[in-house]
Amino acid sequence: MVADTNFAVIQDILQFIGAFVSLSIAYVSFRGVRQTESTSLLRLTTAFAFLGLGFLVEAIVGASYYYPQLAMLTTTVVVAGLLLETTGYFFLAFSHAIDVMISKRLGYALLVFPMISLSGPQLSDILSILSFYFVLYGVVETLFAYARNRNPDTLLIAGGLALIGMGTFIQWLSLLYFQVDVLSLVQIITKEVGLMVLFIPVLNFTLGGKRIVGPV
Amino acid sequence: MNTEGEGVGITTLLRKGNMSYTRMTKLLSELVGAGLLLEMNQDKISKYMISDRGVQFLGAYHNFENFAQSFGLRL
Repeated sequence: MVADTNFAVIQDILQFIGAFVSLSIAYVSFRGVRQTESTSLLRLTTAFAFLGLGFLVEAIVGASYYYPQLAMLTTTVVVAGLLLETTGYFFLAFSHAIDVMISKRLGYALLVFPMISLSGPQLSDILSILSFYFVLYGVVETLFAYARNRNPDTLLIAGGLALIGMGTFIQWLSLLYFQVDVLSLVQIITKEVGLMVLFIPVLNFTLGGKRIVGPV
Repeated sequence: MNTEGEGVGITTLLRKGNMSYTRMTKLLSELVGAGLLLEMNQDKISKYMISDRGVQFLGAYHNFENFAQSFGLRL
């Protein structure tokens, strides 16, 4: 009982941290949209705004341990949170897909889709697997971008997305093997570490980026 | 084009930008209108120089470009 409560508290805290990181990335991207009117940054803003909201909604599930009357909403809230997260990952993958269409390069990750789309009929399972696919696609395309621009931050982001992908896969497993509580904690920790890695460009941005020196 | 000096003429811009005259004049008009370029008329010749606001915009653009590139996206 005490262990269950501790799990719930830790998960709740991690969900709020995840929401903070995601919404911070969305905020920086939104500032970019206002200054540059870039549609890529708009999609990035949308992706991380949905992700942040998804984490916030899932944090409500943890609150049901303190307010048992919320327990009846748990299933609805879990699905709502997963739906928001999946939408966020979709926009992330969509951004890369647009980039692929513009550069007329084949998205190799699309080939993976038929193999992992097989899943149980439950909505949560489907959303988890879709999330995993979208993130996987994002990882592959980010690696292609690294091969193109050799920016170390890009490689870092690919690593962060890979961790998030691993987290979403474990999340799917935790829905299948719901009696194994530790899977739920492992998935959120993995996703949190991935999000922390994604936060690095935000830190780089806020602490100072390139300055124009000399003639333009 | 730099923030100190006399600026550059349209011929230099056309050579470096590899654009048609009509397109370049339209672009210059928009940039001057947005306050990113300064237009100076000397002896009936127009010269262009980047403004402080233009330098700030370029700096911000580079920052966001790096930010987007980190996520494997293009601005």
